[in-house]
Amino acid sequence: MGVNAATHLEPTDIGEVIDAVTQARERSSALEVRGAGSVLDRLPPGDAPVLSTARLTGIVDHAPADLTVTVRAGTRLDEVRDRLAEHGQECPIEPIGEHGTTVGGRLGTALAGPRQLGAGRVRDWLLRVRFVTGAGTPATAGGVTVKDVTGFDLCRLMTGSWGTLGVITEVTLKLRPIPPHRAWYATDTPQHDLASQLYRPAAVVSTSERTHVLFEDHPDDADAQAAGAGLVPADPPVLPASARAVVDPARLAAFRADLTELDLTVAIHDQLGLCHLDGQPDALVAARAAAERHGGALLVLDPSTGLPAFGRGHAPSPLAQRVSTALDPDDVLAPWRWQR
Amino acid sequence: MTRPRRRGRFTRRRAGAPARPSGSSATPGPTSPATASGRSASLATAGSGSVPSATADRSLSGPETSLLATLEDILGDDGLRTGHLGRATYRRDASFLNADPLAVALPRSVEQTAHVLRACRDHGIPFTPRAAGTGLAGGATPTGEGGRRPVVVSVARMDQLRELDVPNRRAWVEPGLVNARLGKAAAAHGLRFAPDPASQIAATLGGNVATNAGGIHVLTYGVMSQHVLAVELMDADGVVHVLDGTRAEQAGLDLRGVSVGGEGTLGIVVGACLRLLPAPPAVGTLLAGFASLEAAATAVGALVVSDRLPDAVELMDARAVSLVEDYAQAGYPQDAAAVLLLEYEGLPAGVDAGVATADRLARDHGATSVVRADGPDQRARIWKGRKAVAGAIAKRAPDFYLQDVVVPRSRLGEMLDAVVAIGERERLEILTVVHAGDGNLHPFVLFDRRVEGMIDRVFAAGHDIVATALSLDGTVTGEHGVGIEKRDFLSDVFDSDDLAVQRAVRDAIEPSGLANPDKVLPTTVGCGEARMVPEGAWV
Ligand SMILES: Cc1cc2nc3c(=O)[nH]c(=O)nc-3n(C[C@H](O)[C@H](O)[C@H](O)COP(=O)(O)OP(=O)(O)OC[C@H]3O[C@@H](n4cnc5c(N)ncnc54)[C@H](O)[C@@H]3O)c2cc1C
Repeated sequence: MGVNAATHLEPTDIGEVIDAVTQARERSSALEVRGAGSVLDRLPPGDAPVLSTARLTGIVDHAPADLTVTVRAGTRLDEVRDRLAEHGQECPIEPIGEHGTTVGGRLGTALAGPRQLGAGRVRDWLLRVRFVTGAGTPATAGGVTVKDVTGFDLCRLMTGSWGTLGVITEVTLKLRPIPPHRAWYATDTPQHDLASQLYRPAAVVSTSERTHVLFEDHPDDADAQAAGAGLVPADPPVLPASARAVVDPARLAAFRADLTELDLTVAIHDQLGLCHLDGQPDALVAARAAAERHGGALLVLDPSTGLPAFGRGHAPSPLAQRVSTALDPDDVLAPWRWQR
Repeated sequence: MTRPRRRGRFTRRRAGAPARPSGSSATPGPTSPATASGRSASLATAGSGSVPSATADRSLSGPETSLLATLEDILGDDGLRTGHLGRATYRRDASFLNADPLAVALPRSVEQTAHVLRACRDHGIPFTPRAAGTGLAGGATPTGEGGRRPVVVSVARMDQLRELDVPNRRAWVEPGLVNARLGKAAAAHGLRFAPDPASQIAATLGGNVATNAGGIHVLTYGVMSQHVLAVELMDADGVVHVLDGTRAEQAGLDLRGVSVGGEGTLGIVVGACLRLLPAPPAVGTLLAGFASLEAAATAVGALVVSDRLPDAVELMDARAVSLVEDYAQAGYPQDAAAVLLLEYEGLPAGVDAGVATADRLARDHGATSVVRADGPDQRARIWKGRKAVAGAIAKRAPDFYLQDVVVPRSRLGEMLDAVVAIGERERLEILTVVHAGDGNLHPFVLFDRRVEGMIDRVFAAGHDIVATALSLDGTVTGEHGVGIEKRDFLSDVFDSDDLAVQRAVRDAIEPSGLANPDKVLPTTVGCGEARMVPEGAWV
């Protein structure tokens, strides 16, 4: 195990992860599970020892013929992407243009990229997960085949659990061929109903000035759809990064109306119900309140705002708390997660 | 590929050993266990004419008598079945696994369901959720634990489409709504519901949620879970938890995801919000014949790594092809050893490109014929043939046992060969259909339960099919579920730590232990186990 063992643990295999969790449990201490920090660095700093996946790295197996890849949790997504691209394959969960994010971090947070509109949720690309629970128990769920209903579906449970149930050590992901053609287009007037007028666009993002559309399709189909909707080739949108709010897409129109009252820079993933925001802390506080009024939540990703990262919209249900307690009975894994 | 850890070495078991395989019968009707530990052996016989009272055939405990009275108050005469015949049709699902329930409750509303579950809880009696009963793993078979017979709680009467939300492309459904009915309602608005199990004209959406059902278009659209936005799960106290997955992120723990595929052990699904997709503007369907199973399997491998994934890749062997041709008149090539059904959906240029690629790859890999459906009629006939296999089998054999295993796609050819060898070894006719793009095989083992010793060979073949899938890095069920049938195989797939974690999650969600006991996870306590084979079978 690595580096300054009291405050920063870098296990190199699953046995060391078990040791680290078990020792923390015995000391009644908590741990913050951390990938590359591309998200955690943007949350208020904590004081608990960090269990880093920095040395749990490497592509264990890429099986092009099976459309699967097995990787250790600390592996960077861009490394995985480059390796898959050599075989013309991809796992479309990577945030476009963001670097450093690890596979474990991506699945742990399950924050959506623009392509989640066309490619589906992050949670749907995970076939098998290996993890160590907060009780120090190693477990595997799911399997390497694309269809598998053998046992309860803990792959979905671990996706988006933010390091509160277990330390993800290795995952097997589902792959697909890289679409033969990929291009961004835009209109110079924002059109929030564009996503529903087009046939399965890969991404649709609206700012106050324009609506951007990503087609991943046959070039003739992309051109025909673009022409029909008055879209012209364009660069990808630039997304604000201080906060991200999410509501049920059915509540998006109402939420968007509330946001227009606030002094914010906004980019909205139409149909996903997801908004990227920049603005002063008071505007973000108001946006969070609006998101929560609509049954949603807002995550602050800029510690300089002085705002807590999570809000009331993230508070776990009693049932979720029971499941957390079952896997992490002594509150070892970031028990403060939803309060800071 | 690293192999999944398997501490428990797989051992071949013959029928009659403690882990029982199951089967599915083409002849529905009341059955009784041929042998049993005593607990679930009832003397139910069909055709007795009159409906005996609840107490006529066995003595009820105090709590049982009291519960039946309470249930009658809640449900009325019409919503409760306690007699022989009333219970008999709920002894099993579409597998052979059967047991006698205490009673059958048919609530008409969520509220009634809550009252039923509370009454069960107050009397310490377990319950078995049930929908259409097309399940193939014994999930809806009312086995109890510790001698307590469960109440079957059928959701079949809660069958309404609550809301079709066209702008937001989603539907709120009651659990008893039949899958195909949602498809039809959606189609009227240019939408479609993607999960399409072959049983979709009978199976319900609640059952599809509870089993995480698959279907023909899984390859690109994914299994049921990907199409479930929210689940309303009722616990044993009758409390409904809305497990919401509508938010794209920051949605808390995905308990929705865990509840999908819960097989009734986590509570009763009393409602669900399902995702609809726009109907594709263009569709291209291909039928390709091959001279050998191996050639077809190799073509599948090439298609899966081509630059455009087909939306469906189904394989049928020669036996399946000849069986359905009379009925479907789909034009399946009768001289082929295997047929592939391929489909591309989407926008026209992409579909045409896909079809061209598939045509070329199929011929490159030895296809003896490739035909593109010339329109919606031929397309419908092609799929009708595929979906008719189970029904058509009655022409060839009185009984069949339908297996469900998955292997990595690259091992498909090996698995198909093994199934043929197993059929030869056990002297059984096996016909196989495959969700080939997913590596998911459905061998149908044909038999006649009246032939002495045959059932034993059927079960042995079933075990060997599962054992082979495991040895090829595959798994024991891809879509039909674990239920009772595959329960004891879980120890061959997972180690004790894995199972302990699964159990911890299940117990946290369903602490009462009353929801569908005895299913999915191998039991740690040695409870009396009925050996379940079809009625009238020679053993
Ligand atoms: C000919 C044939 C073809 C088939 N083809 C396919 C296929 O292509 N793909 C596929 O995936 N399956 C297939 N199946 C299997 C079956 O149709 C599916 O498993 C289906 O989802 C079961 O739905 P059901 O309504 O019949 O549920 P049931 O059989 O009544 O129940 C299935 C399980 O779900 C539980 N359950 C049911 N309703 C609820 C509820 N409301 N709340 C909680 N638990 C509940 C039951 O306890 C049981 O464990 C096929 C079956 C047959 C007979």
